[in-house]
Amino acid sequence: MLTRVKSAVANFMGGIMAGSSGSEHSGGGCGGSDLPLRFPYGRPEFLGLSQDEVECSADHIARPILILKETRRLPWATGYAEVINAGKSTYNEDQASCEVLTVKKKAGAITSTPNRNSTKRRSSLPNGEGLQLKENSESEGVSCHYWSLFDGHAGSGAAVVASRLLQHHVTEQLQDIVEILKNSAVLPPTCLGEEPENTPANSRTLTRAASLRGGVGAPGSPSTPPTRFFTEKKIPHECLVIGALESAFKEMDLQIERERSSYNISGGCTALIVVCLLGKLYVANAGDSSSEEEVTNPKAIIIRNGEIIPMSSEFTPETERQRLQYLAFMQPHLLGNEFTHLEFPRRVQRKELGKKMLYRDFNMTGWAYKTIEDDDLKFPLIYGEGKKARVMATIGVTRGLGDHDLKVHDSNIYIKPFLSSAPEVRVYDLSKYEHGADDVLILATDGLWDVLSNEEVAEAISQFLPNCDPDDPHRYTLAAQDLVMRARGVLKDRGWRISNDRLGSGDDISVYVIPLIHGNKLS
Amino acid sequence: MYIIIGDTGVGKSCLLLQFTDKRFQPVHDLTIGVEFGARMVNIDGKQIKLQIWDTAGQESFRSITRSYYRGAAGALLVYDITRRETFNHLTSWLEDARQHSSSNMVIMLIGNKSDLESRRDVKREEGEAFAREHGLIFMETSAKTACNVEEAFINTAKEIYRKIQQGLFDVHNEANGIKIGPQQCISTSVGPSASQRSSSEIGSNSGCC
Repeated sequence: MLTRVKSAVANFMGGIMAGSSGSEHSGGGCGGSDLPLRFPYGRPEFLGLSQDEVECSADHIARPILILKETRRLPWATGYAEVINAGKSTYNEDQASCEVLTVKKKAGAITSTPNRNSTKRRSSLPNGEGLQLKENSESEGVSCHYWSLFDGHAGSGAAVVASRLLQHHVTEQLQDIVEILKNSAVLPPTCLGEEPENTPANSRTLTRAASLRGGVGAPGSPSTPPTRFFTEKKIPHECLVIGALESAFKEMDLQIERERSSYNISGGCTALIVVCLLGKLYVANAGDSSSEEEVTNPKAIIIRNGEIIPMSSEFTPETERQRLQYLAFMQPHLLGNEFTHLEFPRRVQRKELGKKMLYRDFNMTGWAYKTIEDDDLKFPLIYGEGKKARVMATIGVTRGLGDHDLKVHDSNIYIKPFLSSAPEVRVYDLSKYEHGADDVLILATDGLWDVLSNEEVAEAISQFLPNCDPDDPHRYTLAAQDLVMRARGVLKDRGWRISNDRLGSGDDISVYVIPLIHGNKLS
Repeated sequence: MYIIIGDTGVGKSCLLLQFTDKRFQPVHDLTIGVEFGARMVNIDGKQIKLQIWDTAGQESFRSITRSYYRGAAGALLVYDITRRETFNHLTSWLEDARQHSSSNMVIMLIGNKSDLESRRDVKREEGEAFAREHGLIFMETSAKTACNVEEAFINTAKEIYRKIQQGLFDVHNEANGIKIGPQQCISTSVGPSASQRSSSEIGSNSGCC
């Protein structure tokens, strides 16, 4: 989240948070407000809210907790609840989407004729063109469950666009590898088009390296193709899925960049998605909204039999320091002559010129002394500690989508080159454990994690779910509502308060509670 | 902004549906969160948009419902004339509402299901007496036949509008549940503390129940 946003919240909450800097990002992200919106602002499609309902729900004073309507169901009986912020922005800048995607092999040639048998539930693909697939009756589609959460900043545009389109990029990427994934008995071929190692009898074609390790089949039998005498990495199937998700994020970001010229896509967003494919959960997280000390990432955790299993990790400018420093070192023009890529324990003062001071470069984790030069007086690329650290004094986010127009305040220096759209992907094998009805994956934006620890969330779930009828189709939505209520709290004279009179979250809060028991059937 | 409160099953959601969509749905899912409705009404030649929040009646959702009183300008407190216990619980609802709302919030007491005269369990006089005692406006309605539903919402809005004109509401403080829209139309409405006058006035035009 951006400083400006956070400080607005901080002010609203009584100035509790100690702002580390008064810096503001230049905003500038409207990309020309004359342009039309790519998609109108709204709440997640699955909530099915009318325009009036959207309007009613945007109440910063009563802050109604929106839940899935009684008549609606999400895949896996997933629960969902959300609430708008306490006034930091007119709109709720969180977005979400959830659906079952059908992934079918791309039938080679792409046809331009409309095809009513499109594999997509919603037929429009990223650009609605050139991506219709030929019917391929031989190839059974693989269904893929998809949940997503986006936390926008400096506008709702990027989050809305990503919530509508990222799933299509995921589908598109998976299409290319779906046949390989289905054939789980055989490792993915290293090079497509070569003789596949598709039957156990053919396992003789194992590489030399494999046979040296005692693999089946020795080289030399008449049918064996020439053995290669070099090692070959074995790439497991799940790595292909991880790669597909990483590519999907990149494509999404590129699409936002492209479409900026014809649409108003404001701001940026962090993205957290979960994909369940062939018995495994993939949690992909591109985001950290780490600006103030208590602010954490949008995050996913599994609560299994009371045990907490983190499913996403946190990137902060500090953890990403070396990547960012290296980029600045290689491409110093990106710093616009105003920043230095070196890190010092504190700001260097002019009177210290010529003295030796501790520093570290991109290639170091430790520290050394260097003689202070003029260049070292520039503002550091990364400044601040831990979660307060920010890039170019502007943004605490190092990963996410959008933000293409974000510049350093009062300058022409773009931040985007230092932001990465690449998600970190974690894999969870559903088949390794028999899940009970109260084992869930919690997916939430930082509105929840700002104020509740993993342990508190787990405890709330462990109190709530066992008291619900296991057959109640709404139980996970009620659990999500309960979590949002715990994080939002109630409005008292001194602002929103939660248990123990702590500050409640004044941010947008969105929570999925995904029951894992449905994963049992898949394996 | 109005809020509709009262025990589970008294017909809160049906009242809202009748008012916003002019239809009745005999079987309705239990409300487990908050639901919204909105309708434009014309009061004294002014277009006013009523935003209505329909809440869950079950005890387990009480703490969530309570948090919505803040920012509500008016409340419809509903009981079911065929189930006495829903009438008996009014005191506790009223306490909640008074404690958690702004002091200006208008509360209208509604005895719903007036079409089920044969199964009546709470006399109209009892409702009137309760309303008088606590300073509420009172009406009996039927969400099924639509009898008095319009009136319940609109009369409250009129009363609110009157109070706004009298300067009793700070329309610039959105916490009062009132918002001045573009072109000076008032997009949410409030009810004033009820008056005897309203209750008798309403009594006279509720002949169809």
